[in-house]
Amino acid sequence: MLTLPKHSISIYVDHESGQWIVRDGEGSFWSLPHTDRPWDDRQPYYPTEETELEPIPGHYRFLLGLPA
Amino acid sequence: MTIEQKRLDAARDDSAPWKKWGPYLSERQWGTVREDYSEGGNAWDYFTHDQSRSRAYRWGEDGIAGISDDKQQLCFALALWNGKDPILKERLFGLTNAEGNHGEDVKEYYFYLDSTPTHSYMKYLYKYPQAAFPYGKLIETSRKRSRTEFEYELLDTGVFDQNRYFDVFVEYAKATPEDLLIRITVHNRGPETADLHVLPTLWFRNAWSWHGAKDRPILRQFSATSTRGVVQAAYAAIGDRYLYSEGDAPFLFTENETNTQRIFGVPNRSPYVKDGINNFVVNGQAGAVNPEKTGTKVSAHHRISVKPGESRVIRLRLSDVAPAALARTNGAEGSPFGSAFEDVMEARLKDADEFYKAVIPDSVGSDGANVMRQALAGMMWSKQFYHYDVDKWLEERGSDPFKQNRKAQPRNEHWHHMYNGDVISMPDKWEYPWYAAWDLAFHCLALTMVDPDFGKSQLKLMLRERYIHPNGQIPAYEWNFGDVNPPVHAWATYFTYSLEKIKTGEGDKDWLKSSFQKLLLNFTWWVNRKDRTGQNVFEGGFLGLDNIGVFDRSSPLPTGGYLEQADGTAWMALFSQNMLQIAAELAKTDLDYVDMCLKFVEHFLWIATSMTQLGGEAGMWDEEDGFFYDVLRLPDGGAKRLKVRSMVGLLPLCATTMFDGSLLTQYPDLSERLRWFLESRPELRTTIHDPLKTGVAGRRMASILDEAKLRRVLEKMLDENEFLSEFGIRSLSRFHAQNPFVMNVGGREYRVDYLPAESDTGMFGGNSNWRGPIWMPVNALIIRALLQYYTYYGNDFTVECPTGSGRRMNLYQVAEEISRRLANIFLRGKDGRRPVYGGTHKFQDDPHWKDLVLFYEFFHGDNGAGLGASHQTGWTGVVARTMHLFATTTAEQMLMMGAKASVIEVQEGRDRATTDRRGIVTAGS
Repeated sequence: MLTLPKHSISIYVDHESGQWIVRDGEGSFWSLPHTDRPWDDRQPYYPTEETELEPIPGHYRFLLGLPA
Repeated sequence: MTIEQKRLDAARDDSAPWKKWGPYLSERQWGTVREDYSEGGNAWDYFTHDQSRSRAYRWGEDGIAGISDDKQQLCFALALWNGKDPILKERLFGLTNAEGNHGEDVKEYYFYLDSTPTHSYMKYLYKYPQAAFPYGKLIETSRKRSRTEFEYELLDTGVFDQNRYFDVFVEYAKATPEDLLIRITVHNRGPETADLHVLPTLWFRNAWSWHGAKDRPILRQFSATSTRGVVQAAYAAIGDRYLYSEGDAPFLFTENETNTQRIFGVPNRSPYVKDGINNFVVNGQAGAVNPEKTGTKVSAHHRISVKPGESRVIRLRLSDVAPAALARTNGAEGSPFGSAFEDVMEARLKDADEFYKAVIPDSVGSDGANVMRQALAGMMWSKQFYHYDVDKWLEERGSDPFKQNRKAQPRNEHWHHMYNGDVISMPDKWEYPWYAAWDLAFHCLALTMVDPDFGKSQLKLMLRERYIHPNGQIPAYEWNFGDVNPPVHAWATYFTYSLEKIKTGEGDKDWLKSSFQKLLLNFTWWVNRKDRTGQNVFEGGFLGLDNIGVFDRSSPLPTGGYLEQADGTAWMALFSQNMLQIAAELAKTDLDYVDMCLKFVEHFLWIATSMTQLGGEAGMWDEEDGFFYDVLRLPDGGAKRLKVRSMVGLLPLCATTMFDGSLLTQYPDLSERLRWFLESRPELRTTIHDPLKTGVAGRRMASILDEAKLRRVLEKMLDENEFLSEFGIRSLSRFHAQNPFVMNVGGREYRVDYLPAESDTGMFGGNSNWRGPIWMPVNALIIRALLQYYTYYGNDFTVECPTGSGRRMNLYQVAEEISRRLANIFLRGKDGRRPVYGGTHKFQDDPHWKDLVLFYEFFHGDNGAGLGASHQTGWTGVVARTMHLFATTTAEQMLMMGAKASVIEVQEGRDRATTDRRGIVTAGS
């Protein structure tokens, strides 16, 4: 499992697709599917200039099962 | 000793946790700074009332008439539905700061009717309309109103017309510290039978979602019969609890989890979310509650029909006793709701009556007793579990203090050290559901009437390492912990110490010592940070007085330069006096504090003299007007008095403390050093009260104002055309009604007009007004000061009161007169009306409203009507203390007691009828 340094994860929501989006410590974006282990099942996500992502508070990372 | 006092004693010595459960639930968690994770820091818009039913909170919970344990792990509150509202009434509704024409404002009617200090008995009233709650109408109408118009209130909507509403009383009585009986009584005040859904709700605060915790708590249906249902609340951290619900009301279970579909547009991971019960009851969504009868939030769903003029009772019990054990202990009936239930309820009410009979003097009369009891009940109900780990919060916002390129935060980023997680006295659990440092100090004046331990704990808390900043600053409030509140902590500390010394015969010197050390840090912080020139004149910004200045005193001035503040400097003079009082008390038994006495005498003299001498023709004291003003120091070296006659100029009068001189006798060396200092610095005695001059009984006084200045300031303060209102001392002189203060800077006009009601500017959110209204805390300080002067000058010092009336009064009588006027805000007058309710007929005339008392934030400068936050029992509850003071002592006693006079208490266990105005004891000095 990828171990990320503290404070490096950012969480967003993409309203168009209705999915959680995560930017990891290396700057890569991931889309989290609606599964029991969303982080393990994450898919690469490529935002475009038109993409509008709403920032979500950091404390949601536990709710989404992201690594601490 | 009363039974309630025994509970307080047991709570103090930890033999029984009588304070573990209490009204610690907030009345508004949404729209707070701690729940705000927005980029720009717009807390009101980030987490809204509309979201609150669907979105799990991060830091705390809210509800109506609610309770929780002292760590707020398990919560209980009332939800209602009249069958017409679009949502359950789970929490109080109000306007956000931007929606209200005078800022945020709760739009509900609810009343704190009773509470003992251990919460062994509590009573709350909520008035719920039978018609659809006019959410939209309140918002839309308020938006259209300007700052010069009144607020649009719920009564104005007509929703209470024809009395079509329910009075919902919620009572709590503790059988044991962990066994709480709950009685909900619903009265239909309307003309027709009306239906109501009553949903007593139990839930766990959501901590599991935010920590990755494995030990998630659970609620499950334990049993259900036609006579009662039982829910088990299982959580290792607090042990098992059981909620018993009388009758066959079904339990509706869901999870206290965010409805991510509704809030974020992302599908929910579970169908059971925070608003599941709402969606089941209001929208008929059968799948919204868990048929497995398990979750983290549960309501007992009572559907009742109440005939006009009749009432229905619903009973519950939240207990640590399991059903089998409860059956055994509850006798043959084996029911949690047998006759023992009502017996306990009545016994606790009787205990409360007994307790308050010992607190409230008979001489205040029945209406006075009603006002005092509701004031003190409000103080008790305003306790809240306040949870805010600032470091964690900043981290969750992407800020790390040890990273150079950390993300800038809109507020509180220098308060990483801070961890709040305690039961704290709030100013107002809806409008101000966060503590404010100087409010809290005033709260202690009233809190200590019923629970000195709690008052003391509050003062301790602010000085703990988790609160006070490492640099010595006391946190102001969550909107900006780094703001500056007036330094009144030392005053409240000495007051509370003295009170305990009276009651127990021995003061807590260890606490006083440790407080002194921390207060010393705070004093030094002020000296180093707020005295720009090192000349003992202080700034501080708005200092709690919001819009009182012609400019926003917390922002860069449009003129450039800076302000020398009369209030900031006066506060520091008072702070010096209070530190001197503490040092003097400690020096009685500890030689180490003698030097600190001299230090604070000298520091006071430097500050006081700077106030009266520095600046010459442009100093703070204006000889022509006989008043103190802020001084504007301009960038070009010029200076100008800002001649606004306001509370800013009265506060120097409050910086006075009388000393009995006993320490000088105890330590001749100290006396000699002080004399040398004063004789070698004669200039320090020429423009202020001469500290070498003795008064009644050889007393000495530290005061900025000498007799001549005192008389001149009093002349204005007691003039009904200036500060003296029929209901207390105004925050701004009425002189400015005809003579507004106007200043033109850079083509823009800045002005201060006398505004006796609401503010007409948006300064500081626009919801408070210091340009005319009467504010209880500063009136209390004025009363204190007058009594200090009286014990020094005695009966020979008289003034005309009111100015121009021809009536002469000594300063005790003046203080009593101001106290009487303040009390008259709440008391029924000869016409049967309470000035606090102004022209609101319902509150003045209706038998179900007219004896309910609200303790507003501030009061109309001319007619005493309540304004601002409607439930700011916090510092307005201080009226209970001032009423008590003059009901229990006389001028003669005050004169005899001297400096200790500000701390008096009726001795317990005496015949009040004969001793109310005689038997008083005093604190040491």
